[in-house]
Amino acid sequence: MRHLRNKASASLGAILFWLISSIVTLLPIYWMFVVSARSRVQLFGSPSFLITSFFTENYTSTVSDPAFQRYMVNSIVIATANAVLVTTLALFATYALSRYKLPGKENLFFWTITNRMAPPAVFLLPLFLLYTQVFVVADVRLFDTKIGLILLYCVFNLPFAIWTLRGMIDAIPKELDEAAFVDGANTWQVLTKVILPLAKPGLAVTGILTWVFAWNEYLFAATLTSVHARTITTGLAEFVTVTGTNWGRMAATAMLTLVPALLVLGLAQRHIVAGLTFGAVKE
Amino acid sequence: MRSSSVGWLFLAPTLLILFVFGVLPFLYVLVIGFTQWNSFAADPEMRFTGADNFRRLVFDDQFLYSLWLTLKFAFFAVVSEIVLGYFLAQAFMRDFPGKGFFRTIHTLPLVIAPIAVGATWRLLTVPGLGPLPYYLNRWFGYEFNISRYIDQAFFTTVVMDVWHWTPLVTLTLLAALSSLPKEPFEQAQIDGANRFQIFWHITLPLLKPAILATVFIRMMDALRTVDEVWMLTGGGPGAATRYIGLHIWRVVFPKTDYGYGSAMSLITLYLTIVLCWMLYAGLVARRDLKRAD
Amino acid sequence: MSDRAEKTEGRRHGFLPIETNAFDRVFIAVLLFVALHLFWMRFVEAALPLGVATVLSLVLGAIIVMRG
Repeated sequence: MRHLRNKASASLGAILFWLISSIVTLLPIYWMFVVSARSRVQLFGSPSFLITSFFTENYTSTVSDPAFQRYMVNSIVIATANAVLVTTLALFATYALSRYKLPGKENLFFWTITNRMAPPAVFLLPLFLLYTQVFVVADVRLFDTKIGLILLYCVFNLPFAIWTLRGMIDAIPKELDEAAFVDGANTWQVLTKVILPLAKPGLAVTGILTWVFAWNEYLFAATLTSVHARTITTGLAEFVTVTGTNWGRMAATAMLTLVPALLVLGLAQRHIVAGLTFGAVKE
Repeated sequence: MRSSSVGWLFLAPTLLILFVFGVLPFLYVLVIGFTQWNSFAADPEMRFTGADNFRRLVFDDQFLYSLWLTLKFAFFAVVSEIVLGYFLAQAFMRDFPGKGFFRTIHTLPLVIAPIAVGATWRLLTVPGLGPLPYYLNRWFGYEFNISRYIDQAFFTTVVMDVWHWTPLVTLTLLAALSSLPKEPFEQAQIDGANRFQIFWHITLPLLKPAILATVFIRMMDALRTVDEVWMLTGGGPGAATRYIGLHIWRVVFPKTDYGYGSAMSLITLYLTIVLCWMLYAGLVARRDLKRAD
Repeated sequence: MSDRAEKTEGRRHGFLPIETNAFDRVFIAVLLFVALHLFWMRFVEAALPLGVATVLSLVLGAIIVMRG
């Protein structure tokens, strides 16, 4: 009896603990939403957390701003192209690493992750110089192009995708490929008809997380673009330097930047931690 | 059928991209680091100057200060995250209704763009708008202004990082805790060990690999933090939160002193590798010791 | 993992506190080479030229690679 009561009070304590930490986690985001729903006049005076009226102009003026629209389109194009490219190449790479006897392949596998671990600030200068002065064909430079960012994001997303997919491809029994080979299929058919259908869930998760990483990236997007290929994160940062005081619109832009994060949370929640620890942690 | 050349063919595009956009920039920065090259200087041509850049670098107080700040920031942030994350994971080990829901909430900060995290915290802390300065002043009479006080700015960046990444530590340690064997704990309880003894002699040694791996991953991320801090404080007040990434990006980069900037990037990379390797060696050495007995 | 076998090959325990293979020892030697040069430039170069550091770290590196 006492044991039972202890157990009930313990789980009550745990709920309380988690309730408090959940409020702390959500409060900053909730406050941003509050700011985005207020006009400039409402923002001054004592800060209240209650939303009494919804001031939609922050959102409507943001969405109808042509600069914002361009940033949004750029971000969507870059993140999507990067996710598709990375998932496809990572599937090829992990298939090779998993099924072929290649000398030094494990060292290669470990080496890929160093690309992910390196501090991006270190590569800003050489990449900027390469993009503006070296990778130049006739008049075409990689600087300020979407393709430049798409290819660059592969450097840190490919290792992530390879590390995530490796376990999944390894888990597909080799007998399945052998059987297909015996039936006269070629390598390409094995990859697309046997491996691909079985790896689909893993590929989807990898693609989704890759998409978010590309969407969230700021430092390279801010340095390697100037006008045409600016992304939504650079647009958000510009609010601080250009129109530093329009907090309502900044909050609205930030809220719109958050939307994909919320979608991903719904789609791939279980895999986010595994993804962020390169598969070291399985939930 | 299964010739290794087909395998290499499958790997080729990946290796090509990693080489052109990962290895090539590294080799490039390695070369420029030993030259004097500033396109706006009196002598804009690239000239080989040996170790001169590094000679200047080891006496560059701004750079050394920024390195020191980065280490301080990473230390405070990662230690707080591990301690806080451990307690949250322990609390989460109990079963209670709505666990999945709480878990979802705690995964949310992990997928938010760092730049948006910075924006969020800026809105919280801006004087005259944010609730943090307002209520701290009203309830405790404490003057909170991160654009003015150095220590407040520094600790606000730490708190922001803790807010952003503690959930990762929590969920990682939770996964580790759930996979621990039950017997040692039951045995210890029979032997009459108290809670602290159980924690110190059983939980901690068993969790060590998971904790070290988490520290490793978090440390690498904390050392290269740029976006959030740039959005929150812009590196200020003064240079109080100008961590190394910000220093290279906002101070050295715009000066177009390519040779010197490359040397600085190289040293930063070098220090990251040393730290990374020391953590990793610690990790592997411990595991080998365990395997020996 | 299959890399375990590959990794334990050629491992040994010298005077360094951890088990190392040839790559690890060269890596440590290079890290020390850089560290010694940076230290030298900051504190010693006024008295002794940098060449001394180069010779010293090469000798140290050779010892580590062979005996570590």
